[in-house]
Amino acid sequence: MDLETQIGRVGVLPYVGIGVVSGLFAAMFGIGGGIVIVPLLILITKMPARMAAATSLATLILTSLMGVIRYSGSGHIDWVAALVIGTPAVVGVLIGIRFQKRLPAEWLILGFGLFVVAIGLKLVFAL
Amino acid sequence: MLLDATTLSLAIACGVAAGVLAGLFGVGGGIIFVPTLVIIFSFHQLDAQATSLAAIIPVALIGAWRQNTEHLVYWRGAVIMGVGAAFGVLIGAEFALRLPEATLSRVFGMVLLLVGGEMIISSIRKLQAKRAAAN
Repeated sequence: MDLETQIGRVGVLPYVGIGVVSGLFAAMFGIGGGIVIVPLLILITKMPARMAAATSLATLILTSLMGVIRYSGSGHIDWVAALVIGTPAVVGVLIGIRFQKRLPAEWLILGFGLFVVAIGLKLVFAL
Repeated sequence: MLLDATTLSLAIACGVAAGVLAGLFGVGGGIIFVPTLVIIFSFHQLDAQATSLAAIIPVALIGAWRQNTEHLVYWRGAVIMGVGAAFGVLIGAEFALRLPEATLSRVFGMVLLLVGGEMIISSIRKLQAKRAAAN
Protein backbone atom coordinates (compact mmCIF):
# COMPACT_ATOMS: atom_id res chain seq x y z
CA MET A 1 0.00 0.00 0.00
CA ASP A 2 1.18 3.49 -0.83
CA LEU A 3 2.27 5.38 2.28
CA GLU A 4 0.51 8.64 1.50
CA THR A 5 -2.86 7.14 0.59
CA GLN A 6 -2.98 5.74 4.10
CA ILE A 7 -3.73 9.06 5.82
CA GLY A 8 -5.90 10.28 2.95
CA ARG A 9 -8.20 7.35 3.53
CA VAL A 10 -8.73 7.44 7.27
CA GLY A 11 -7.66 10.96 8.24
CA VAL A 12 -5.69 12.10 11.28
CA LEU A 13 -8.23 11.30 14.00
CA PRO A 14 -7.75 7.50 14.19
CA TYR A 15 -4.02 8.04 14.75
CA VAL A 16 -4.69 10.60 17.50
CA GLY A 17 -7.13 8.15 19.10
CA ILE A 18 -4.78 5.16 18.91
CA GLY A 19 -1.99 7.27 20.41
CA VAL A 20 -4.16 8.48 23.31
CA VAL A 21 -5.40 4.95 24.05
CA SER A 22 -1.87 3.51 24.03
CA GLY A 23 -0.65 6.25 26.40
CA LEU A 24 -3.69 5.75 28.63
CA PHE A 25 -3.06 2.01 28.89
CA ALA A 26 0.67 2.52 29.40
CA ALA A 27 0.01 4.74 32.40
CA MET A 28 -2.73 2.50 33.82
CA PHE A 29 -1.31 -1.00 33.25
CA GLY A 30 2.37 -0.48 32.45
CA ILE A 31 1.68 -2.16 29.10
CA GLY A 32 0.77 0.10 26.28
CA GLY A 33 3.17 0.26 23.42
CA GLY A 34 3.00 -1.99 20.41
CA ILE A 35 0.58 -4.43 22.02
CA VAL A 36 -2.09 -1.71 21.82
CA ILE A 37 -0.86 0.17 18.72
CA VAL A 38 -0.38 -2.76 16.30
CA PRO A 39 -3.84 -4.41 16.59
CA LEU A 40 -5.58 -1.01 16.51
CA LEU A 41 -3.65 0.03 13.38
CA ILE A 42 -4.66 -3.22 11.67
CA LEU A 43 -8.30 -3.07 12.83
CA ILE A 44 -9.02 0.67 12.48
CA THR A 45 -6.75 2.00 9.73
CA LYS A 46 -6.59 -1.36 7.87
CA MET A 47 -2.82 -1.00 7.70
CA PRO A 48 -1.01 -4.13 6.44
CA ALA A 49 0.51 -6.12 9.33
CA ARG A 50 4.19 -5.49 8.53
CA MET A 51 3.60 -1.77 8.08
CA ALA A 52 1.68 -1.63 11.36
CA ALA A 53 4.58 -3.30 13.20
CA ALA A 54 7.14 -0.97 11.56
CA THR A 55 5.10 2.17 12.27
CA SER A 56 4.56 1.05 15.85
CA LEU A 57 8.34 0.86 16.35
CA ALA A 58 8.67 4.43 15.04
CA THR A 59 6.02 5.59 17.54
CA LEU A 60 7.91 3.85 20.34
CA ILE A 61 11.01 5.96 19.64
CA LEU A 62 8.96 8.99 20.70
CA THR A 63 7.07 7.44 23.61
CA SER A 64 10.13 5.77 25.16
CA LEU A 65 12.12 8.99 24.74
CA MET A 66 9.38 10.98 26.49
CA GLY A 67 9.26 8.37 29.24
CA VAL A 68 13.01 8.54 29.77
CA ILE A 69 12.90 12.35 29.92
CA ARG A 70 10.13 12.10 32.53
CA TYR A 71 12.16 9.64 34.68
CA SER A 72 15.60 11.18 34.13
CA GLY A 73 17.02 12.69 37.29
CA SER A 74 14.66 10.61 39.44
CA GLY A 75 17.29 7.92 39.94
CA HIS A 76 14.99 5.19 38.62
CA ILE A 77 16.95 4.56 35.41
CA ASP A 78 19.94 2.21 35.62
CA TRP A 79 21.85 3.04 32.45
CA VAL A 80 24.28 0.12 32.75
CA ALA A 81 21.43 -2.38 33.03
CA ALA A 82 19.67 -0.67 30.10
CA LEU A 83 22.83 -1.16 28.04
CA VAL A 84 23.24 -4.79 29.12
CA ILE A 85 19.71 -5.76 27.96
CA GLY A 86 19.34 -3.13 25.21
CA THR A 87 22.45 -4.06 23.21
CA PRO A 88 21.51 -7.73 22.63
CA ALA A 89 17.96 -6.52 21.92
CA VAL A 90 19.26 -4.36 19.06
CA VAL A 91 20.75 -7.53 17.54
CA GLY A 92 17.44 -9.29 18.24
CA VAL A 93 15.34 -6.63 16.51
CA LEU A 94 17.32 -7.09 13.28
CA ILE A 95 16.86 -10.87 13.52
CA GLY A 96 13.13 -10.40 14.16
CA ILE A 97 12.70 -8.11 11.15
CA ARG A 98 14.61 -10.52 8.91
CA PHE A 99 12.32 -13.34 10.07
CA GLN A 100 9.23 -11.14 9.60
CA LYS A 101 10.15 -10.54 5.94
CA ARG A 102 9.84 -14.25 5.18
CA LEU A 103 6.62 -14.74 7.11
CA PRO A 104 3.30 -14.50 5.20
CA ALA A 105 0.98 -11.80 6.65
CA GLU A 106 -1.56 -14.37 7.92
CA TRP A 107 1.09 -16.19 9.93
CA LEU A 108 2.36 -12.90 11.30
CA ILE A 109 -1.13 -11.93 12.49
CA LEU A 110 -1.66 -15.44 13.90
CA GLY A 111 1.61 -15.17 15.84
CA PHE A 112 0.72 -11.72 17.12
CA GLY A 113 -2.74 -12.95 18.14
CA LEU A 114 -1.18 -15.79 20.19
CA PHE A 115 1.22 -13.28 21.78
CA VAL A 116 -1.67 -10.92 22.68
CA VAL A 117 -3.71 -13.82 24.14
CA ALA A 118 -0.71 -14.87 26.27
CA ILE A 119 -0.42 -11.34 27.72
CA GLY A 120 -4.21 -11.26 28.23
CA LEU A 121 -4.12 -14.53 30.21
CA LYS A 122 -1.22 -13.20 32.29
CA LEU A 123 -3.23 -10.10 33.24
CA VAL A 124 -6.56 -11.87 33.83
CA PHE A 125 -5.02 -14.49 36.13
CA ALA A 126 -2.50 -12.01 37.61
CA LEU A 127 0.45 -14.31 36.90
CA MET B 1 23.92 -4.33 40.22
CA LEU B 2 25.63 -7.70 40.48
CA LEU B 3 27.00 -9.09 37.24
CA ASP B 4 28.33 -12.65 37.27
CA ALA B 5 28.59 -14.87 34.17
CA THR B 6 25.20 -16.54 34.71
CA THR B 7 23.36 -13.25 35.24
CA LEU B 8 25.05 -11.74 32.20
CA SER B 9 24.28 -14.63 29.87
CA LEU B 10 20.65 -14.76 31.08
CA ALA B 11 20.31 -11.01 30.54
CA ILE B 12 21.78 -11.29 27.04
CA ALA B 13 19.42 -14.17 26.15
CA CYS B 14 16.39 -12.23 27.42
CA GLY B 15 17.59 -9.11 25.58
CA VAL B 16 17.86 -10.97 22.28
CA ALA B 17 14.41 -12.54 22.83
CA ALA B 18 12.89 -9.11 23.56
CA GLY B 19 14.51 -7.74 20.40
CA VAL B 20 13.23 -10.59 18.22
CA LEU B 21 9.67 -9.96 19.50
CA ALA B 22 10.16 -6.23 18.87
CA GLY B 23 11.27 -6.78 15.29
CA LEU B 24 8.66 -9.39 14.54
CA PHE B 25 5.61 -7.75 16.10
CA GLY B 26 6.49 -4.06 16.50
CA VAL B 27 6.36 -4.09 20.28
CA GLY B 28 9.08 -2.35 22.29
CA GLY B 29 10.23 -5.33 24.26
CA GLY B 30 9.18 -3.97 27.65
CA ILE B 31 7.01 -7.05 28.13
CA ILE B 32 10.28 -9.03 28.48
CA PHE B 33 12.62 -6.26 29.71
CA VAL B 34 10.58 -5.47 32.83
CA PRO B 35 10.30 -9.06 34.19
CA THR B 36 13.96 -9.66 33.26
CA LEU B 37 15.06 -6.67 35.34
CA VAL B 38 12.77 -7.63 38.23
CA ILE B 39 13.63 -11.34 38.31
CA ILE B 40 17.28 -11.50 37.18
CA PHE B 41 18.54 -8.13 38.44
CA SER B 42 16.17 -7.90 41.46
CA PHE B 43 14.99 -4.42 40.43
CA HIS B 44 11.98 -2.71 42.00
CA GLN B 45 8.99 -2.44 39.64
CA LEU B 46 9.34 1.31 39.03
CA ASP B 47 13.12 1.11 38.42
CA ALA B 48 12.52 -1.80 36.04
CA GLN B 49 9.88 0.14 34.08
CA ALA B 50 12.05 3.27 33.81
CA THR B 51 15.17 1.28 32.81
CA SER B 52 13.13 -0.73 30.31
CA LEU B 53 12.10 2.54 28.60
CA ALA B 54 15.77 3.47 28.22
CA ALA B 55 16.54 0.04 26.71
CA ILE B 56 13.64 0.38 24.25
CA ILE B 57 15.03 3.58 22.66
CA PRO B 58 17.89 1.96 20.66
CA VAL B 59 15.68 -1.04 19.77
CA ALA B 60 12.90 1.19 18.39
CA LEU B 61 15.43 3.45 16.62
CA ILE B 62 17.36 0.67 14.86
CA GLY B 63 14.18 -1.30 14.14
CA ALA B 64 12.34 1.67 12.61
CA TRP B 65 15.44 2.65 10.63
CA ARG B 66 15.74 -0.90 9.24
CA GLN B 67 12.03 -1.08 8.32
CA ASN B 68 12.26 2.39 6.78
CA THR B 69 14.75 1.11 4.21
CA GLU B 70 11.79 -0.90 2.85
CA HIS B 71 9.37 2.05 3.15
CA LEU B 72 7.28 0.28 5.75
CA VAL B 73 7.19 3.14 8.28
CA TYR B 74 4.30 5.59 8.10
CA TRP B 75 6.11 8.45 9.85
CA ARG B 76 3.24 10.95 9.94
CA GLY B 77 1.00 8.43 11.65
CA ALA B 78 3.82 7.53 14.06
CA VAL B 79 4.39 11.16 15.09
CA ILE B 80 0.65 11.81 15.55
CA MET B 81 0.33 8.65 17.69
CA GLY B 82 3.38 9.69 19.72
CA VAL B 83 1.85 13.08 20.52
CA GLY B 84 -1.49 11.44 21.32
CA ALA B 85 0.25 9.00 23.65
CA ALA B 86 1.76 11.89 25.64
CA PHE B 87 -1.78 13.13 26.38
CA GLY B 88 -2.97 9.59 27.06
CA VAL B 89 -0.28 9.12 29.71
CA LEU B 90 -1.41 12.29 31.50
CA ILE B 91 -5.07 11.19 31.52
CA GLY B 92 -4.15 7.60 32.45
CA ALA B 93 -2.09 8.73 35.43
CA GLU B 94 -5.24 10.43 36.83
CA PHE B 95 -7.38 7.29 36.37
CA ALA B 96 -4.74 4.98 37.77
CA LEU B 97 -4.84 6.79 41.11
CA ARG B 98 -8.61 6.52 41.42
CA LEU B 99 -9.43 3.00 40.28
CA PRO B 100 -8.40 -0.33 41.85
CA GLU B 101 -5.41 -1.64 39.90
CA ALA B 102 -6.27 -5.35 40.08
CA THR B 103 -9.72 -4.83 38.52
CA LEU B 104 -8.25 -2.60 35.81
CA SER B 105 -5.62 -5.16 34.84
CA ARG B 106 -8.28 -7.89 34.60
CA VAL B 107 -10.48 -5.77 32.35
CA PHE B 108 -7.53 -4.92 30.14
CA GLY B 109 -6.54 -8.59 30.05
CA MET B 110 -10.02 -9.55 28.87
CA VAL B 111 -9.90 -6.90 26.13
CA LEU B 112 -6.57 -8.39 25.00
CA LEU B 113 -8.09 -11.89 24.99
CA LEU B 114 -10.88 -10.63 22.70
CA VAL B 115 -8.51 -8.74 20.39
CA GLY B 116 -5.99 -11.60 20.25
CA GLY B 117 -8.76 -14.15 19.72
CA GLU B 118 -10.14 -12.10 16.83
CA MET B 119 -6.69 -11.95 15.23
CA ILE B 120 -6.19 -15.72 15.60
CA ILE B 121 -9.63 -16.56 14.15
CA SER B 122 -9.39 -14.12 11.22
CA SER B 123 -5.88 -15.27 10.27
CA ILE B 124 -6.86 -18.95 10.43
CA ARG B 125 -9.90 -18.21 8.22
CA LYS B 126 -7.65 -16.47 5.69
CA LEU B 127 -5.18 -19.37 5.75
CA GLN B 128 -8.04 -21.82 5.16
CA ALA B 129 -9.40 -19.71 2.28
CA LYS B 130 -5.92 -19.61 0.76
CA ARG B 131 -5.59 -23.37 1.05
CA ALA B 132 -9.05 -23.90 -0.48
CA ALA B 133 -8.16 -21.55 -3.35
CA ALA B 134 -4.92 -23.45 -3.96
CA ASN B 135 -6.71 -26.79 -4.24
